[in-house]
Amino acid sequence: MNQPYTTPSTPSGPQGPPITNAKRPMAAHPITSAAIFVLVAASICCTLIVPIYAHITPKIGDWPFFYFYLLAYMPLVAIALWLATLLQRRLATPADGSAVSDAEVAQ
Amino acid sequence: MSNVNTVVFTIVLVLFVIVTAVGFLAARWRRPPVMAHLNEWGLAGRGFGTFITWFLLGGDLYTAYTFIAVPALVFGSGSIGFFAVSYTIMAYPIAFIFLPRLWSICRVHNWVTPGDFIRGRYGSRGLALAMAFTGILALMPYIALQLVGIQAVLTVMGVNASSTNTYVKDLPLFVAFLVLAIFTYVSGLRAPAAIAFIKDTLIYVFVLVAVFYIPTRLGGWGHIFGAAQTHFASISPATGKPIGTFIPTTKSTGSTQFDFATLALGSAMALFVYPHIITGTLASKRRGIIKRNMSLLPAYAVLLGLIALFGYMAVADPVTAADVKKAGNAQLAVPYLFQHMFPSWFTGIAFAGIIIGALVPAAIMAIAAANLFTRNIFKEFFKPDASPALETRMSQWASLVVKFGALVFAVELPHTFSINLQLLGGVWILQIFPMLVGGLYTRWFHRWALLTGWFAGMIYGTIAAYNVKNATTSHWAGSSDIVFGHSIYIGITAIIINVVIAVILTPILRAARVPEGTDETLPHQYTADPEDAPAPVPAGVGAHLEG
Repeated sequence: MNQPYTTPSTPSGPQGPPITNAKRPMAAHPITSAAIFVLVAASICCTLIVPIYAHITPKIGDWPFFYFYLLAYMPLVAIALWLATLLQRRLATPADGSAVSDAEVAQ
Repeated sequence: MSNVNTVVFTIVLVLFVIVTAVGFLAARWRRPPVMAHLNEWGLAGRGFGTFITWFLLGGDLYTAYTFIAVPALVFGSGSIGFFAVSYTIMAYPIAFIFLPRLWSICRVHNWVTPGDFIRGRYGSRGLALAMAFTGILALMPYIALQLVGIQAVLTVMGVNASSTNTYVKDLPLFVAFLVLAIFTYVSGLRAPAAIAFIKDTLIYVFVLVAVFYIPTRLGGWGHIFGAAQTHFASISPATGKPIGTFIPTTKSTGSTQFDFATLALGSAMALFVYPHIITGTLASKRRGIIKRNMSLLPAYAVLLGLIALFGYMAVADPVTAADVKKAGNAQLAVPYLFQHMFPSWFTGIAFAGIIIGALVPAAIMAIAAANLFTRNIFKEFFKPDASPALETRMSQWASLVVKFGALVFAVELPHTFSINLQLLGGVWILQIFPMLVGGLYTRWFHRWALLTGWFAGMIYGTIAAYNVKNATTSHWAGSSDIVFGHSIYIGITAIIINVVIAVILTPILRAARVPEGTDETLPHQYTADPEDAPAPVPAGVGAHLEG
């Protein structure tokens, strides 16, 4: 390593600042934060847990459940992530004044 | 070239010429006063809006190899191939979590590659080198596979079947690749971004038409699924087991549900860590554009789901199935299916879509690999005082070298070799996940611990993949091995080893007071959303056009 070890003079150390800063909007909006978490986690888990949908029946039309589920899932993920984006805007409170902002807020 | 269909050939040729013209003209698109800067050549001015980013990332994520290999896997093994659908679904929520942070921190610091971030975050050239090395290593076979995709189409077109000499046989491939190499050199990321519009339109058209039209020829979806179910339940004479699975099973008949889930999760985590996808991401103008695209890009995943079903259509069509069997190459399933189902003019459009579909990601991959080389190897270790102009020139040349390396790969080595390396590429890329995504959230990990974990993950993943065998092949037979009685994707096992080592070593190294390196980043920079390009760029680069 070419860099000598230096104690960071800026508040960028490994301890403290990132956590407190990141927590502020979450603490201000616990329900919104929880909703975002649930939306994103559900998007991942409902396809990760294969036993939920690895069945032939019930058939939807000619489609076995497994294949119908995977295709129908994608629009739902799109909607879930879109909702999460909307909710995240509410996290960026103007009173906070922090740099937590989205493009949408400014527009 | 006696059995070439003139209509198909003409349409492919015309579309290819159009794409070539667009590729060269793209250099003038949103032209900045100063082109000789990596922000311009490598990231197209970092000014793309939601619309262009959607096309660019869509064209970047879904490669020609996807169009060929996913249906081929479905054709050969059944439902396990649908892990690809599951993984593209999962990739978006996972990327939604970390990608905006990566965009912000790279934008604030004007970083061009993921290696730059590693360098700045951990103050470690070694760790950045590991990142660059892994990225280039994983991208080379990936580019080679784009060529394999083009070759599959050319084979079915009958263009390259007449000679035994490799170089004569692959002449059309060389021409296509030479053109690709030159317009990437000239126009940088602007070329694939512009071509992505044509690619995505063609792909959307042929996939949607195929999905509605082919089932009417094959007796409806009920017949297609029924034929697939019967086919995969039949016993293979070679192994004495069923040929494949129609639904992922809990029994260990080759494709278990656990295998399916870990393959999907591992691939999803790897997807947005691939340097070429990060390149596409960093080219966008605002933080919100990344998030918005995470909810717009699943429209592409629908497409992939439909493409995967082509594999079953090929099973259900006796003529296609017989042809593929005769050729002994499952990758020809989709090209043959189209050739049998469609009139020549539409086959031409579909084939052109696949060929152009190879050019977009191949160009972005070459740019990403070139940027990694320039920023994290050349500038870091050989010429620290390189000017932006020199960096750009270096990247342009590196992109040519990378492409010709991939060409040699595709032509000289057996295709199975590229496919195995691509499979390994996913395992390798996953090993940079802890340092990259972990680093976006915490500096807790010690840089040497991350490096050791990375090394262990790479070694384990490579050896484990080498040792996978099945009834017909003794090595590289798949991407999963058996751990504690479960079939698990090797990438997942390797990343667990990687993280465990990093977690154990971090407190030890810290207790030993091993230097931790300087962190150049500030907490608020991870959520920043600067409107204009950051300051330390040459005059003119900060100017953006609307769009």
